[in-house]
Amino acid sequence: MFRNSQTARGLTLIAPPALYALLLLAVPLLAIFAFSFWSQDFLTIDYTPTLNNYREALSEPLYTELMMRSVLIAGAVTVATVLLAFPIAYFVSFHVPQSRKSLWIFLITIPFWTSYLIRVFLWKVILGYNGVLNSSLLSIGIIDEPLTFILYNANAVVITLAHAFAPFAILPIFVSLEKIDRSLLEASRDLGENHVMTFLRVTLPLAVPGVVAATLIVFIPTIGDYVTPRLVGGPNGLMIANMIQTQFLKLNNAPMGAALAVIAMAIVTVIALFFIFLNRRWLKGRNS
Amino acid sequence: MTWLRGYAVLYLLFLYAPIILLPIFAFNDSTIIAFPLSGFTTQWFSEIPNTPALVKSVQTSVIIALTTAVLSTTLGICAARAGAKYTFPLKAPILGFIMLPLVLPEIIVAVSMLVVLLALGLPLGSWTVVLGHTLICTPFCIAILNSAFANLDPSLEEAAIDLGETRASTFRLITLPLVMPGIIAAMLISFTISLDEFIIAFFLTGTEPTLPVYLWGQLRFPQKIPVVMALGTILVVLSIILLILAEMARRRGLHRTGTQDSGGFL
Amino acid sequence: MTAIVSLKDVQKYYGTYHALRGVTLDIAQGEFFSLLGPSGCGKTTLLRTIAGFEDISEGTLILSGQNMADVPANKRPTNMVFQSYAIFPHLSVGENVAFGLRKRSDLNTKEKAALVQDALEMVGLVGFEKRAAHALSGGQRQRVALARALILKPKVLLLDEPLSALDKKMRDQMQNELRQLQRHVGITFILVTHDQEEALIMSDRIAVMFDGEIAQLADPQTLYRRPISRRVADFIGVMNFLPANASGNKIDIPGLGAATLTPEQCPGGTPSGPCTIGIRPETMSILFGTEPAPARETNGTVHELAYYGDMTYYDIALPGVEKPVTLSMKNLVGRRVLERGESTRISWDDRALVAFAD
Repeated sequence: MFRNSQTARGLTLIAPPALYALLLLAVPLLAIFAFSFWSQDFLTIDYTPTLNNYREALSEPLYTELMMRSVLIAGAVTVATVLLAFPIAYFVSFHVPQSRKSLWIFLITIPFWTSYLIRVFLWKVILGYNGVLNSSLLSIGIIDEPLTFILYNANAVVITLAHAFAPFAILPIFVSLEKIDRSLLEASRDLGENHVMTFLRVTLPLAVPGVVAATLIVFIPTIGDYVTPRLVGGPNGLMIANMIQTQFLKLNNAPMGAALAVIAMAIVTVIALFFIFLNRRWLKGRNS
Repeated sequence: MTWLRGYAVLYLLFLYAPIILLPIFAFNDSTIIAFPLSGFTTQWFSEIPNTPALVKSVQTSVIIALTTAVLSTTLGICAARAGAKYTFPLKAPILGFIMLPLVLPEIIVAVSMLVVLLALGLPLGSWTVVLGHTLICTPFCIAILNSAFANLDPSLEEAAIDLGETRASTFRLITLPLVMPGIIAAMLISFTISLDEFIIAFFLTGTEPTLPVYLWGQLRFPQKIPVVMALGTILVVLSIILLILAEMARRRGLHRTGTQDSGGFL
Repeated sequence: MTAIVSLKDVQKYYGTYHALRGVTLDIAQGEFFSLLGPSGCGKTTLLRTIAGFEDISEGTLILSGQNMADVPANKRPTNMVFQSYAIFPHLSVGENVAFGLRKRSDLNTKEKAALVQDALEMVGLVGFEKRAAHALSGGQRQRVALARALILKPKVLLLDEPLSALDKKMRDQMQNELRQLQRHVGITFILVTHDQEEALIMSDRIAVMFDGEIAQLADPQTLYRRPISRRVADFIGVMNFLPANASGNKIDIPGLGAATLTPEQCPGGTPSGPCTIGIRPETMSILFGTEPAPARETNGTVHELAYYGDMTYYDIALPGVEKPVTLSMKNLVGRRVLERGESTRISWDDRALVAFAD
């Protein structure tokens, strides 16, 4: 029961997961970082440190365009997902009786746990030239010929990913809305605000941390997604992850792939830090 | 607020659109995945057991998922317990680092592990997939187990010790039974994640593909798609059953410890 | 007095925080002892060091003649009733009560069951052994916690604020039951509480703690009548404090006049020069009409009053005293309740005064 033995016990317990993460995450990430400064000619690695990979990654239009597109698509997915998700989270938190809330959350999370690969493929089926959407719209006569702007391009990627990451956006927003003391809303009404102004002046500001969390949780995995761009993105919908994969497995240029991975991580980190900073500023401004 | 309810229903429709289509095409008597439907058949389901590569990939995936579930839950128990009960130097950074895979694009986890494994000259195989999956599943297990351990009144363990039990027997008699629902939920969730994970498996698998990797290969061949739909249908049904079990386990846990229900898994 | 619990200069540090500052204390076999103090005073820490959940930084703890330095919590002859009761939620009432008997290989199943029955009977829960733990009310949980601890016949039973989770009625009832139970089993009880009334009602002796130290250790009557310091007096019940001036054993109290105090009226030591005089509200009374004063008397005006039903509390402004003094009167049949602003005579007895050095 001595304090130092408490510490020892804690360290003993945390050691296995910490060592695991160290060996299988820290070491590989460092390796990727090292690789990005090397170069590869066919199958031999040249260990001379060089910035050529980064130079090429940042000057070659093929790479810069891919990176820009990845950020833009991930940004669009994030905006779409969060905007679509907020009303749902709001609905479940404020207009569903307490006893049925977990059922709704359960319903929302179920599609998320079904095979990602098959779900993405099914979006291809829905959005295709002869797909479910086009054939339905044609049969009820809303359109005369199939829509083509919804498959094999960035739009398809955005729609599919907005679907795939929906629960990730809904849950944090829902949690932050649930935390709002309902008497605050009554106080606002009591002080003369209507429903809309109460929402804008009380509910929305208090939901900001949840929205920020949702933004990050959607943005980070989206920017590195591989499956969706490959299946529904067409040539103009490919993203950085596809290029990293190509460099590693097809072009045998691991150093270039590593450099792209490091840049992708850097982009993710910068954007994530920006949002965390915004959130801090926001919370600080409110508390002072 | 009727428009909000209407929106919610439309949104659920959007969420469920692909899943609703799955059984429709799985029972459709045509290799073309499109409307109009041509007829009812169970042919695609009966083809599943007659496709040896598919059966093999299911076996591989199940073994990988089971191993991953056990490993990541064990690591999760260690981390969640350490986080809930003890203070030690660098606690927050260490726990934060273990949770890092949660916010790291999977492709990066996959390529960085691949680089190291190749550099060490280690052969790729199911075990490398298990290593990768355990890495990404552990944070999920920790998230679930954290609430299980945090809901545990510390005086329960003290009471057991006060009544003469040792540290080890207290863990067995009190702690373990009370966090068991959390452990079951963590195992189910990591099993499900591992079973469905594609990117890491794609990069780290050896000669025996996992189910998602196998499916990925099949998606290029239109005549194979209906079987994939049939398999997908079975998977959907299975994962819904698993999820319901996990949710029931979680609720029983809440009931037992007498705490209030406060939302879902995440 | 044979001490069953003996603490000598016990110190406890949490990092740089000094939680226990040299506690020395002997508790007798069979005593109902209370540790009383505000939150953060170290009373719970002290109880947990006795139980073995906290180590002692310096000093010694002897339980039943044995030094506890290297004895872990599960080997100590103490059992505890936790503030949250810590009823194991996955076990039934019977399994909870029998929990500590698991390692008693000298008992067979039948004997264990009989002990459980006895314990349940002792706390009035016969017939509850199959009941699920979460289906119990607060009072029942407390009884289970008591039975579970007492079944092991500890040398000392430790109770950590056991009544704080109960409502007022239940608390009053349990105070009574606990006291009777303690007399019945004859085990030493150490109770931690922040409720002065509870401590007064139940205890043989009380240690009042402030800031990790024992401020006063006494029986309830002494503690109430002869508090050692103004801080203790203020914590236990209500007391009026009047500025005064002492020279020798004579004390001049503006508003009340001069008084002569015995040494025992100065429990903190006889003051000299500026000091404070304390007097409890119930030791003063209002004189109606021409009623003669039983002891000393003075004139005042009703500044404020609070009618409690059974009692009325008056704040009486006295000439030459800045703060009105509070006194309480029973609302007897035919006794009038005064009005604000009314002039009145009040009386008191010098023997009720206590002096504190400033």
